[in-house]
Amino acid sequence: MRLNRTKLFKSMNLSIFTLVMIFLYIPILILVIFSFNDAKIIVGWRGFTLKYYTLLFQNDAIKSAFWNTMLIASLSTLISTVLGILAALGLENKRFSGRKGLLALIYTPLVIPDILMGVSLALLFNFTRFNTGMLTVLIAHITFCLSYTVIVIQSRLEGFDYSLVEAAMDLGAKPSAIFWRIKFPLMMPGIIAAGLLAFTLSIDDFIITFFTSGRGFDTLPIYVEGTIRRGTITTINSLSTLMIGFTLLLAVSTGRIRKNLFNL
Amino acid sequence: MEEIRIEHLTKDFGGFTAVDDVSLVIKPGELYSFLGPSGCGKTTLLRMIAGFEIPREGRIIVGDQDITQLPPYQRQVNTIFQNYSLFPHMTLFDNVAFGLRIKKIAKAQIKEKVRDMLALVKMSDQADKYPDQISGGQKQRIAIARALINEPKVLLLDEPLAALDLKLRQHMLIELMNIHDAVGITFIYVTHDQSEAMSISDRMAVMSKGKIIQQGPPDDIYERPASIFSAFFIGETNLITGEVTGIEDEYVQISCPKGNGEFVEIDSTFHFTPNIGQKLTLSLRPEKIAISRYKPRQQDDFNTLKGVIEDILYLGTHTQYIVRVGELKFRVFSQHKRVYFDEKALDWEEPVWLFWHDTDTWLIDEVTEDATDDSGISPESAPYHRTSKRSMI
Amino acid sequence: MKHYVYIQNPLEVAERKRKNLQSWILTAPAMIWLLLFFLIPYLIVIIYSFLTPDIYDIKFEFSLDAYRQVFSGAYLQPFLISFRMAFITTIACLILGYPVAYFIARAKEKTRNTLLVFIIIPFWTNLIIRIFSWRIFLAYNGVLNDILMNLHLIQQPLEIMRTDLAVALVMVYVYLPYMILPLYSVIEKIDFTLLNAAMDLGANEIKAFFKVTLPLSISGIFAGGILVFIPALGAYLITQLVGNQKSLYIGQVITYKIKNIPRNWPMASALSLVLLMIVTILLVASYLIFMHRRRRKVA
Repeated sequence: MRLNRTKLFKSMNLSIFTLVMIFLYIPILILVIFSFNDAKIIVGWRGFTLKYYTLLFQNDAIKSAFWNTMLIASLSTLISTVLGILAALGLENKRFSGRKGLLALIYTPLVIPDILMGVSLALLFNFTRFNTGMLTVLIAHITFCLSYTVIVIQSRLEGFDYSLVEAAMDLGAKPSAIFWRIKFPLMMPGIIAAGLLAFTLSIDDFIITFFTSGRGFDTLPIYVEGTIRRGTITTINSLSTLMIGFTLLLAVSTGRIRKNLFNL
Repeated sequence: MEEIRIEHLTKDFGGFTAVDDVSLVIKPGELYSFLGPSGCGKTTLLRMIAGFEIPREGRIIVGDQDITQLPPYQRQVNTIFQNYSLFPHMTLFDNVAFGLRIKKIAKAQIKEKVRDMLALVKMSDQADKYPDQISGGQKQRIAIARALINEPKVLLLDEPLAALDLKLRQHMLIELMNIHDAVGITFIYVTHDQSEAMSISDRMAVMSKGKIIQQGPPDDIYERPASIFSAFFIGETNLITGEVTGIEDEYVQISCPKGNGEFVEIDSTFHFTPNIGQKLTLSLRPEKIAISRYKPRQQDDFNTLKGVIEDILYLGTHTQYIVRVGELKFRVFSQHKRVYFDEKALDWEEPVWLFWHDTDTWLIDEVTEDATDDSGISPESAPYHRTSKRSMI
Repeated sequence: MKHYVYIQNPLEVAERKRKNLQSWILTAPAMIWLLLFFLIPYLIVIIYSFLTPDIYDIKFEFSLDAYRQVFSGAYLQPFLISFRMAFITTIACLILGYPVAYFIARAKEKTRNTLLVFIIIPFWTNLIIRIFSWRIFLAYNGVLNDILMNLHLIQQPLEIMRTDLAVALVMVYVYLPYMILPLYSVIEKIDFTLLNAAMDLGANEIKAFFKVTLPLSISGIFAGGILVFIPALGAYLITQLVGNQKSLYIGQVITYKIKNIPRNWPMASALSLVLLMIVTILLVASYLIFMHRRRRKVA
């Protein structure tokens, strides 16, 4: 009797897990399959085609949205990661008198709905009569990425074994050598993780970009939302499939890079 | 080679004095140990020599150079850390080469030196591995190589064997002694394990509460403890309080209360001049006491007591008996050499005779606070109950 | 009783001051950035909430109109709808997420990471694409209806798109990992030998779960709850793309007031501030409850 109930409990967990997995993957799977479907609207299977992929590469609006997204993502990743590294190093000092204030500034954006950051930035740019466009989107993206980069890099530093610094000092290394030979390489996995997170967040963001981009500066999510609204969705499947593939590639390759380059 | 002089070194953290006015001299090429329980200040002392802590008062002098205020990277002193602190992102080769690369030594020369050093610690074939791919003992060897390659004047070892298991610890201990012989520089060794310190040191200092209690060669400290602390911390002992009742030539007679207003008389030689009526403590090593169910032949320079066996612990190399004499309890170690003693094993509650030579009773000019009652210090009420002591060598 | 006087080493004091200055310099860029682009914008939101609306822009004339409307209850409906949906989503995520987190935490150590990656991959996929894929799945002429019709389970296509059910489904889909990950990290740390001990003493796994695991994982439930509830409360994209457009969620109302003409920025500002207040109250309350529990545990 007792054994049976325990077994039941375990199989219940397993079945919920399986259901959740199906739940998580079915929509993505459908999307990928239907990107090869030769049909104008999504009803039934009408045969395999790559036509929408070729259409995709002929669409100038998509191309420009793609490059805009990449540009914003790269720049915001770069800047937010650099600021994050510096801030995380500064926060390492537990007796730093501005520590609590800065931590509050860093953690608050994470627990407030994104839409509020979008609204507040939109009004800031209106108040200062700043022309919305690439620059405003970049500023917005750096702002929401910054919290994440600081936290990820800082958490990596938290686990840093300070005795390694002592060991390096003991072996004759001066502070600058300790930083570049020991600390920075050991921070690297954290920096990569932070950069990767910032990059994905930037590519992913819709709402804050929606509030801060002007007319004529579309990122991919903005473009996709527009096309969905207008109802011309034929290329979205293939575009989405490519984006999913890109994300997976990014995730897998960074894991590899980390393992190979830093043994960490 | 140079001697290390430590003069009136004091260090405190907040209100806590970790090292309290310590002075000592370490001779060139010596293997010197700081031994004491955790929190006794031994590690702080070592960290001041390494340069990780700056003392509030006092000086550290190596040869004729005062290094007290120098940063660690300007001292010709290297450290083996307790957890090895190997750089996880570098190969073993790069770890060992670290110090030389910092000094910007030519590549070819680095390669040669690292190779020699890896050979010394028997790790030549593992140079390309990373620290997380090798065992604890191997990490230890790399840590030693990484320190010694800088040709320090002094090598500091902070509990270097604490993270290893027993067999490996014994092995590494011998290896450390061999390396010490090979390189010939001064080693300063910090440990809380008395058997480790005893087996490896030329000389050692027993520390407690930031102060040095006693220093000298291990056998000296073991045989002639200057205080109750060193008697108890090094090895095992029976501590009995008593009062001097008579002095004759080189012998002294001490009367020790055994409960119910009765006393046992114990004779001893002395190394300081006691006064009649003075209270003091006797230290009696368990292995120096003989035990037998037959009364030994009467002899002038023997102490003989009659007691009852309360407990027997068979420990392989020897058996430990707890013998009750009145309310006093004696711990006795007896090796299993039946030629000397009874053919039939001693049993619980059996009346036995304890006897030992007068010179094996050691007097300590000190009385513990909890020894002021009549019972003396029984092994159970001892301040440091150590279980793994006889586990080493 | 001995009284110690802490004698400060002047070298140490100087070192501490130097390190503090160094920290200020290192953190200055991030700090200035967040002040300029995170904190000050909220001040502008506060200012704008007291101004007069304009069809295209804003008039710099003082007005309390926005607050008058907010307190008259005219915008109570979107808040209530959003609240209800956030609540449903959180509960559903907890019910689905807990067994999953528990299952992963109790799996073999090697498989754990793989299972976690499977949870995280969808989380890494673009949000709008995931929402879009649900549209394909749930649409009137979409995949789900197609399959059900072909299996002759239904005669008429189901109208799921643009209903609250669709919003709930997609919300759970999007926010589920936010619930699973904190739960997992808490459950994983639980010493399962405790559980084995409890089971050894005769409790079955279900009993042991309610007596041991659940009480120990309460902090993860709190964290996950907050991570799901708050973004769900302010969601725009999901409600906009799959929601019923007759009853608007608060995120949509705010967005329309900002983006659509006629614009009403004071109203959007006031509503944003109300939303911010609600979120703050929620956070402070859960923090207090959590701290209270912890203190009780310590006592």
